[in-house]
Amino acid sequence: MPPLDKKIKKFLKNSIRVAPKISDKGEFGELRAGLVSPYPQTRKDAIKKTIQQMTLGKDVSPLFPDVLKNIATIDIEQKKLVYLYVMNYAEIYPELCILAVNTFVTDSQDPNPLIRCMAIRTMSMIKVDKILEYIDTPLRRTLQDDNPYVRKTAVICVAKLFQLNKQLCVELGVLEDLANALDDDNPMVISNAIASIIEINSIDPTVIDLIRLIETHVSKFLLVLNECTEWARMTILTALAEYNSRDSLEAKDIIDRVTAHLQHVNPSVVLATVKVILKNITQLDPNQYSPDSKIMKKISSALVSLMSTPPELQYVALKNIRIILEKYPEILNKELRIFYVKFNDPMYVKLEKIEILVRLVDVSNIKQCTLLLNELKEYSMEFELEFVSRSIQAMAELGIKNGNEIFIAKIADIICNEILERGGGIETIRDDCCVALSNLLRCCDMNESMVKQICSILNSWSSPEDILTSDLSKCHYIWLMTKYPNHFTTVIEKLKTFIDNFTQEESMTQVAILLSVIKLHTRLEGSVLQNLFELATSYEAVDIDVRDMAMMYWRCFSIDDSNVEKDQLINELCNNGLNPLPRIDNILEMFSPDTLEKLLNQLGTISSIYFEPLTEDILNESRKRRSQMNQNIIKSQKLNDLQDIARNELLDGHEDVLLDFGDEDDSSSNMASSNNNNNTLKELDDLFGNITQDVKNLNISQQQSNTDSNQAPSANTTTSNTQDLLDLF
Amino acid sequence: MASAIYFCDNKGKPLLSRRYKDDVPLSAIDKFSTLLLENVEQSSIIPPCISHSGIDYLFIQHNDLYVVVLATSLSINVATIFTFLHKLVAVLEEYLKTVEEESIRDNFVIIYELLDEMMDYGIPQVTETKMLKKYITQKSFKLVKAHKKKLNAARPPSSLTNSVSWRPEGIKYKKNEAFLDIVESINMLISQNGQVIRSEILGTVKVKSRLSGMPDLKLGINDRGIFTKYLEGNDIGTTSLNGDKKGKGHDLNKNESSITNDGRKSKSNIELEDLKFHQCVRLSKFENEKIISFIPPDGDFDLMSYRLTTSIKPLILCDVKVQTYSNSRVEIFCKAKAQIKKKSVATNVEILIPVPSDADTPSFKYSHGSIKWVPEKSAILWKIRSFPGGKEYSMRAELLLPSISDINDTKVKKPVQVKFQIPYFTTSGIQIRYLKINEPTLQYKSYPWVRYITQNGDDYTIRINNS
Repeated sequence: MPPLDKKIKKFLKNSIRVAPKISDKGEFGELRAGLVSPYPQTRKDAIKKTIQQMTLGKDVSPLFPDVLKNIATIDIEQKKLVYLYVMNYAEIYPELCILAVNTFVTDSQDPNPLIRCMAIRTMSMIKVDKILEYIDTPLRRTLQDDNPYVRKTAVICVAKLFQLNKQLCVELGVLEDLANALDDDNPMVISNAIASIIEINSIDPTVIDLIRLIETHVSKFLLVLNECTEWARMTILTALAEYNSRDSLEAKDIIDRVTAHLQHVNPSVVLATVKVILKNITQLDPNQYSPDSKIMKKISSALVSLMSTPPELQYVALKNIRIILEKYPEILNKELRIFYVKFNDPMYVKLEKIEILVRLVDVSNIKQCTLLLNELKEYSMEFELEFVSRSIQAMAELGIKNGNEIFIAKIADIICNEILERGGGIETIRDDCCVALSNLLRCCDMNESMVKQICSILNSWSSPEDILTSDLSKCHYIWLMTKYPNHFTTVIEKLKTFIDNFTQEESMTQVAILLSVIKLHTRLEGSVLQNLFELATSYEAVDIDVRDMAMMYWRCFSIDDSNVEKDQLINELCNNGLNPLPRIDNILEMFSPDTLEKLLNQLGTISSIYFEPLTEDILNESRKRRSQMNQNIIKSQKLNDLQDIARNELLDGHEDVLLDFGDEDDSSSNMASSNNNNNTLKELDDLFGNITQDVKNLNISQQQSNTDSNQAPSANTTTSNTQDLLDLF
Repeated sequence: MASAIYFCDNKGKPLLSRRYKDDVPLSAIDKFSTLLLENVEQSSIIPPCISHSGIDYLFIQHNDLYVVVLATSLSINVATIFTFLHKLVAVLEEYLKTVEEESIRDNFVIIYELLDEMMDYGIPQVTETKMLKKYITQKSFKLVKAHKKKLNAARPPSSLTNSVSWRPEGIKYKKNEAFLDIVESINMLISQNGQVIRSEILGTVKVKSRLSGMPDLKLGINDRGIFTKYLEGNDIGTTSLNGDKKGKGHDLNKNESSITNDGRKSKSNIELEDLKFHQCVRLSKFENEKIISFIPPDGDFDLMSYRLTTSIKPLILCDVKVQTYSNSRVEIFCKAKAQIKKKSVATNVEILIPVPSDADTPSFKYSHGSIKWVPEKSAILWKIRSFPGGKEYSMRAELLLPSISDINDTKVKKPVQVKFQIPYFTTSGIQIRYLKINEPTLQYKSYPWVRYITQNGDDYTIRINNS
């Protein structure tokens, strides 16, 4: 009867215990008394309680000297706890750690490898010059230790030391030891050494030649790859991905050696393997990596398998698949169904899945398109706002990608008759439908029956300015009205209500109203146009681009009647919309080729999630930030001040990036407008187009950055969607 | 890599932390709860990574906890971080049983120790629970005792850094046995009219190893791509496998397959996709020679997993009709059929049918099993303990609806979910041909056991039409 046995034991243990117990109150007096108690058990209890208080967020640093007295013990657990305490407060009270330096040095020679590790690990984390002065011998000794467990810890300590004190690290010459560790026989030591070198390289790329080291060790890495833990494999694969193979033979060899890892159970190993393969594959003869090739099938299968991982990893995988798909669009074309949404997927996975679905679908396969359409229709009948909205958008994307008029008509039919009908529950559904429908119409604007069907639905909305909530959808609605005024029975009244609300609208709608009024000015009373011009150029909060545009149109219209060119110009302005529009064939967002290449090299990283490639500038920025933080910390005693500095530093850095992007757009559109003033009238027409483009570019990207502040906005993605929208007018 | 790991409660307030690098300010985590809140306010999408002031918050959710990693560079491998966090939770689960706010608070000492050992300077190190348990133990007195003996007290096992980093040396069992469980989970999405929209089989070969020393195992399965020549002239595997664990004498080779694809009728070899192996399997050997060979960790582990996307017919087919008479009542009619071989039996079948959240006063009519209304899930649950193949059961339920309904009530459209287990049956037709166990020094006799089971995956759902 073991349970009873245990109970008795416990009871006996408690009854013969003489050592006083420590309460949970965490009063300093009691703890302090406990820490110096003659009973070892009480002391240990007290340490535990101290650490408990520390975990709860209470500052127990005043007990530091007393806790430190307990570091010389034979009880490993107690030693660990004291080390933990020391490490934690080393960050806040580095001065106090000097008291422990002796123990560190002694412990680094302990016969137990666990203690040696603990000593060196802790010592290399304490940001005090004086302690670091003593690190020389212990670090060197542990780097040469017989036990690989100690060596693998020591190689990482070099990176820690480097971060704390670069100069000392270089002086000690441990960087050479670190490079030598790459030739160790133990795979774990090798992988930690390379991880450590990568860290050092990210702090300062000048001290150690990472690329050269990887080059000279490629064969070694490939050799140990099969013999190490999953994390070590991960590190080695990361290093291999940095390597540029010399020729197609070597590339082939690397691919052959790593391919087996596509079947590793660890998703990050799989992704890292994909990265290494894709990096080398371009060296090969294109036939060897055609969509039907064995290797591409293996990659495809590996990517699919990532869809049976936890949602966070699916999210990473989906984002990365989107990048890979753009380079190799055919890679997953047989696997569409895998990306169908599961009802219990988290929302962020669902939305990403739709992204992949519309990109993946093979438009030449009408059956597949129909299946996907039905699936999207199903999604649009759900109740979550973002999901429904994205599904409707995806339908339009699918239709335009497919381009077949019958198919598009079918989609328009579904949106008009089924989605809009369900109403209730979701307020913004009309916004999404309006945008989707007008996008679809742009694709086949000559199809009379579709124009009729769509316009009659939109026409039936009594007060569109209230029904529609988003800037984008209003803009689309007004465009449709202007383009097909004959299909709207009350176009003038509707336009007038929009004009009445002019000052409340956002800039995209304002531009739309302005252009619409200009185009339809013959149907409106003369004063409407005049009033709008006045309004758009006078009221205070007006967007500068809207104002400039209104100003220029105004000038066009105020040309002296005697000028023969006037009528022609105005005619051109107004009829522009009746000409066939440039056909759009895709409204999916794409990366620029340059961005795509960069992102492919950063698969699996945070960059690949935000679609924000890591540039040299960003790297330098973070390096600067890091080094400043560290240098300050070592020299100064007033840590709190420093934290503030660091925090400000971080804030500044972040803002800079955002601002850069905004400025660019601003200046370009401003430039365009200032140039315009000097140009002749005939050219005005074309240039207006440009302004509109810029305005919209700006607006759309702003809107994106607002809606999703996490996703560093599409500074780098060419929004074909945006581009196309411009042609609207 | 990672700068710090925090365990936070469901509001995002930190409970316990371990900092690996000092490149993030101490106060950074305080922002986390506000960031969560801001994201919730903006939309219902909370991605697992939030960026703020140059710091990236990468997190997973587990029970009532957020496990958060702070990182400062875009070049950090986020796939590794998420994999590690899930692994961390899995390891903690083995130590603490459940990982939740309370157990984190109660076991801070062991968690600190584990965090210390599992990650160093943000680089993942040892995550193999079996090895960690060798030198990080929960009961401290064990350590003290070991110390008294002056033996190697709580040292890292030497094999930790070897190429076989998952198995300590010197394991001994009186009776050497290995149990194989082949578990196939079926994920299936069925449309309103009974059409299968998507189906996949997710298979796992689970191993429970109770073998002494450093045994080398070779596994043979009937996959086309896998080398099975060992079978000839080596019948140790097949004969011993025939004795099923439960003694039902289930013949392995008669294991049924319900794959509709004619080209893959049982007997012949099947073709598994997306094979994934535990790190103990020699991947290069598999890649080159198609042999699954490995030195197993001790105890339970998942040896391999695979996926098949062949079209399969629904094993448990449900035809659900929901008739809603607004403001008065809702009628549900459900017909379930076990579309499996007559001699197979599906057990623990659970059919969860969603009903409007404001419905009440249920009344049921049914021939088999038991039905209850689960108001907290807004559903009715039909349980059938044993459902023999080929049988068809049906039920009818009626619930009353309130006469005034709230129009603004946010509805959630849920599908019918089905749970089941079918023992001694695999959908894919996978078979274990042999398991060869060889321990070079001890040369013992060992007994492999095999079990097959098919069950529902986490997404076996049927869409319903609400009319």
